[in-house]
Amino acid sequence: MTLPRFFWSEYRKRRKRAALITFALFWGTLSILLLMAFGQGMTTQFQVSFSGLGQTLIMVYGGQTSLPFEGLPKGRPISLYPEDVDYLKDRVPEILRIAPESYNFLQVSANGKEINRTVHGTTAEFGLMRTQVPRMGGRFLNAADVAQGRKVAFIGWKVAADLFGSADPVGKPIVINRIPFTVIGVLQKKIQDSMYNGPDAEQVYLPFHAYQQIDNRRRINQIHIQPREASQSKIVEARVRTLLGRKYRFVPDDRYATSFWNTIEDAKQGQAIFKGIEIFLGLIGALTLLIGAVGVTNLMYAVAKERTKEIGVKLAIGARRRVIIQQFFLETVFVFAKGTFWGFITAFNVVHIIRLAPINYDSFGIEAYLLRPEFSLQIFVAYTAILGVLCFLSGIFPALRASRANPIESLRYE
Amino acid sequence: MIELQDITKVYRTGSQSLEALRGISVKIGKGEFISIMGPSGSGKSTLMNIIGCLDTPTAGEYVLDSDKVAGLTFDQLAAVRNRKIGFVFQNFNLLPYATAWENIELPMLFDGKNGRRRRERVTELLNAVGLYEWRGHRPSELSGGQQQRIALARALANDPPILLADEPTGNLDSKSGEEIMAILTDLWREGRTIVMVTHNDHIAAHSERTIRLFDGQVVA
Ligand SMILES: Nc1ncnc2c1ncn2[C@@H]1O[C@H](COP(=O)(O)OP(=O)(O)OP(=O)(O)O)[C@@H](O)[C@H]1O
Ligand SMILES: [Mg+2]
Repeated sequence: MTLPRFFWSEYRKRRKRAALITFALFWGTLSILLLMAFGQGMTTQFQVSFSGLGQTLIMVYGGQTSLPFEGLPKGRPISLYPEDVDYLKDRVPEILRIAPESYNFLQVSANGKEINRTVHGTTAEFGLMRTQVPRMGGRFLNAADVAQGRKVAFIGWKVAADLFGSADPVGKPIVINRIPFTVIGVLQKKIQDSMYNGPDAEQVYLPFHAYQQIDNRRRINQIHIQPREASQSKIVEARVRTLLGRKYRFVPDDRYATSFWNTIEDAKQGQAIFKGIEIFLGLIGALTLLIGAVGVTNLMYAVAKERTKEIGVKLAIGARRRVIIQQFFLETVFVFAKGTFWGFITAFNVVHIIRLAPINYDSFGIEAYLLRPEFSLQIFVAYTAILGVLCFLSGIFPALRASRANPIESLRYE
Repeated sequence: MIELQDITKVYRTGSQSLEALRGISVKIGKGEFISIMGPSGSGKSTLMNIIGCLDTPTAGEYVLDSDKVAGLTFDQLAAVRNRKIGFVFQNFNLLPYATAWENIELPMLFDGKNGRRRRERVTELLNAVGLYEWRGHRPSELSGGQQQRIALARALANDPPILLADEPTGNLDSKSGEEIMAILTDLWREGRTIVMVTHNDHIAAHSERTIRLFDGQVVA
């Protein structure tokens, strides 16, 4: 027998008494980690769902003037045209990406089926701005498709399902307004909490020039703009207003001449709400941690005190201070590691299993926020650090104290 | 050689203070067999604990083999308790989670003795106290007499020259008590210094000399 083996043998014999502490640690770890994982998951899902429409996106629409301008009467309609895209891009250096978009509700048929869907004409940059991620084996429209006006189409997953069932539509023909197109990609499922014209799952996208052959209106429905930095959204909006005002002759401040949907500003509000929820959950977590820590600390302290007499015996037969502290240290670390480890493993598995639950991408509901809990390393590290320190103090403090006093004082302890 | 000079021990509990020992001076030579007697509360245990380096006096000087005990560090005192002094308690004070074997082995483990020496010594001691068959049992599975014999074996593990026993037979029936006394007498014959507290004149009769305490002072 060596000292570590003696420690181990003593530990094993009193394991039943340590079981409660181990369980408390396990349970505390599990509940804290789950709470935090759900909070984190909700925040992330919010961000994901917001980026379902697009990330840092400003949409510009035409309108009708509400103010007279240099002798022109109010009430003039303002429309946007394809050339506005380059006009703005050349003049506003803060613009990273920009794309026109036109759409119409049209007949789409394939595979002997016929449906009516909104069909859009746009460019490759649209895909990047509006998170149009293709399913495996397909792609979004690219620059060459747009430049050459290729007869290709990118379709939402519901359109794909409606026309092709479970078959892969990529490479198959679809007919839009009697003109045949080839499907080049299907949108991968995503959660999307904000939209115009319905969810992207229901849409069909064509290269801008190809679209113009179906829909001969010159004016476009809207322009999508992504600033280089999210913080520039206000500046970009103001510049675009001024430039369009100069071109189409309206007062830049005229709220009705053009309209803007600035998702960046929307997101700021949404994020504030979720930040609030996160802080709230963090607070609950901190309180739970506090209660748990007090419980565990108390248990550890009680057990360690109970053993004061044993410390006295060991000191009486010649144990050095180091031996006493070593034993308590090792035991505390071991019990702590064991409880935390199983708590972590369980929490990890619970999260993993919950994440297996499918999310209904077609009716985006509360489950999308709840069914995607996720771990963050910071949570785990912070938790372990706080509880570790508390455990260490509670487990080892009585031993430290006892190994400083006369053995007889510990021996008398009942 | 144990030399106590004017030892005082004051216990403070709250605002009250109690003088358990008042100026005790005692010399115990090497190889002596001493018994300490006195009424309950006269300070016998307090004195034994000080001699055994389990407690420190409030005042006075304790010299053990020409070392001033007051000048020793915590770990040096631990070494004294480990090698020089074997202590037998009235209530045994065995470790409840350790077996008889482990309890006896522990002082040697703390001393860093190697495995073979420890095994030999534990076997020897278990045989000497007649409890070899009980080596795997925990204290709670042993009778009081058996526990006291294990405690005695533990006190002897590192072969200390001094053996202190605070009412070693106090919790035992007379037969077990006599067994313990027989062992103590043998140990004394082997040359050990033995100091024993007892209430029993019959037990005290085994010793060479009796120190009587009354109210914290030596009376004879
Ligand atoms: N830890 C303590 N705190 C306060 N007073 C104590 C403490 N230990 C002992 N005393 C007091 O000191 C006095 C001497 O106690 P001690 O235990 O030395 O007596 P004793 O002679 O061993 O008695 P007994 O024969 O009953 O064992 C008693 O009055 C006791 O109440
Ligand atoms: Mg006593």
